[in-house]
Amino acid sequence: MDQNAVEVAGLTKAFGGVRAVEKVSMKVPVGQRRVLIGPNGAGKTTLFNCITGTFTPTSGKIFLFGKDVTRLAEHRRTAMGVGRTYQITNVFHDLTVLENLVLAIQGNSRQKWVMHRPVNAFSDSLKRAGKELDRVGLKDRTHDSVQHLSYGERKQLELALALASQPRVLFLDEPCSGLSPGERQRIAEIIKEFPRDITLILIEHDMSIALGLADQVSVLHRGSIILEGTPDEVRANPEVREVYLGKV
Amino acid sequence: MILSRWSLLLCVVAAALFAPLYLGPFWLSLLMQILIFGLLALSVELLLGHIGLFSVCQAAFFAVSAYTVAILQVKYGQPTIVAVPAGMGAAIILSLIYGIAVRTSGVYFILVTIALGHVFWGISWTWVSFTNGEGGITNVPAPAVGSLVITSHSSYYYIVLAVVALCVLGYRTLTRSPFGLTLRGIRESESRMRGLGYNIAAHKYTAFVLAGTLSGIAGLLYIYFNRFVSPANAEFFLSIEVALMVLVGGTGTILGPFIGSAIMLGLRNYVSAYIDQWMIVMGLIFIVTMLWTPDGVLGVIRSLGIRGKTSHNQPGHRTRTPEEGK
Repeated sequence: MDQNAVEVAGLTKAFGGVRAVEKVSMKVPVGQRRVLIGPNGAGKTTLFNCITGTFTPTSGKIFLFGKDVTRLAEHRRTAMGVGRTYQITNVFHDLTVLENLVLAIQGNSRQKWVMHRPVNAFSDSLKRAGKELDRVGLKDRTHDSVQHLSYGERKQLELALALASQPRVLFLDEPCSGLSPGERQRIAEIIKEFPRDITLILIEHDMSIALGLADQVSVLHRGSIILEGTPDEVRANPEVREVYLGKV
Repeated sequence: MILSRWSLLLCVVAAALFAPLYLGPFWLSLLMQILIFGLLALSVELLLGHIGLFSVCQAAFFAVSAYTVAILQVKYGQPTIVAVPAGMGAAIILSLIYGIAVRTSGVYFILVTIALGHVFWGISWTWVSFTNGEGGITNVPAPAVGSLVITSHSSYYYIVLAVVALCVLGYRTLTRSPFGLTLRGIRESESRMRGLGYNIAAHKYTAFVLAGTLSGIAGLLYIYFNRFVSPANAEFFLSIEVALMVLVGGTGTILGPFIGSAIMLGLRNYVSAYIDQWMIVMGLIFIVTMLWTPDGVLGVIRSLGIRGKTSHNQPGHRTRTPEEGK
């Protein structure tokens, strides 16, 4: 048994003639914090969607904790410990913050099938929801409807939802996009405080935040990984600067 | 506010309990229809208001249980005690089969349920040797348990009232449960629910079968009320009419479908006294509802209430602005 939380081997995903991800191979050991960087259209989100199960890859294999999950349904991968957030916030707008959290908590338990007792009777879930909201700083918004939350608060809620499903490996798709510098810093602080035993894989455009969080960085360009290394190595690499910042 | 809500509920319960004492036969019969079709509308509401699935085949489940009872009692001389569970079972089996519809969504779900509803209607219309075709099955006996025969309208009213009340309580429990919350989560974002570990199809399918069962219960109440069933009870037109009840009353509440049922049945009785073209009137109600009051009567009342409160709203709460939508 190798100790890779995620292993991707020769993964290709094509949409018609466009190969969004081409022959990508990557190993992320358990507990590592891996950041994916790359210009827009590099295939980062597509790679995410393949690993979490939203898309079925055109070819190649995906392993989670040593198990081949290439053809496994998305909700089953979640049950194996995969959590994720979305680039465009994907939360439940017409429900309260607390209800959002309860949905995340009961997702991996039999509780979601209970029909004869009210949600309020599950004090364990409510307690855990409160704890997660505390962690991301949304405690005072518990009973508000999500549509009254600011964009930054929704991003925080995204993180709380992902954490509440108790993932072993967490995929964060641009957790800071669209936020002000101050809000970004706040999100980065929250992510830093995540338990170290959760393997983190995140996409981030803000280089200072990305490199500040990463143990290891993978650089994607036109669907392929062109470099893997520590933040310092990546920072020093002239090719990355050219690709990522664009040649003028 | 809480006090007035409880006293209102108490008044409604008292009014319902003593209805046979002060209502004449016509009004009592109308009230029973409102309750029965309100229950049928509630099954539409379970799918529409919670998962956002617009089902147009609830009449099929309604009719299958009514037909099963009628055929067993009239053609095979079976007692009520056999016919009712059989009718219930028929509705459940049909909804287990028709549940495949949840594999589709949006417009395709609507189209598939129209087709499925039509299949059942077609069977009831053309299988003459079994269903009597267009003529339907008449002379269904009054419900009886042993030597106790419920012949009078007013005693049957209490059965309808009790069954509807039980269903409403069950519905209320269901929608407040983790399962109910799951359904609302699916309505809000299927992709997120999948990402949180939910098997969306399994939850939709279960809800669809529950809704079909509820429609079947309404069908059981109806057959012993009407003592006659025909293909008209399985028609697409009936499915649309109950869906309209939900829209007119307002989605997202238990009361909505019953208010919608009262408005629609009341109007139909009133209008058909003057003209035959109820369909035209119904079409107009549909259009007016969709264009101007998509949240129904209750939605209008609620928005009036909110408007009244904005003068002293709390800090930190804003009203929803258009760009905040999904």
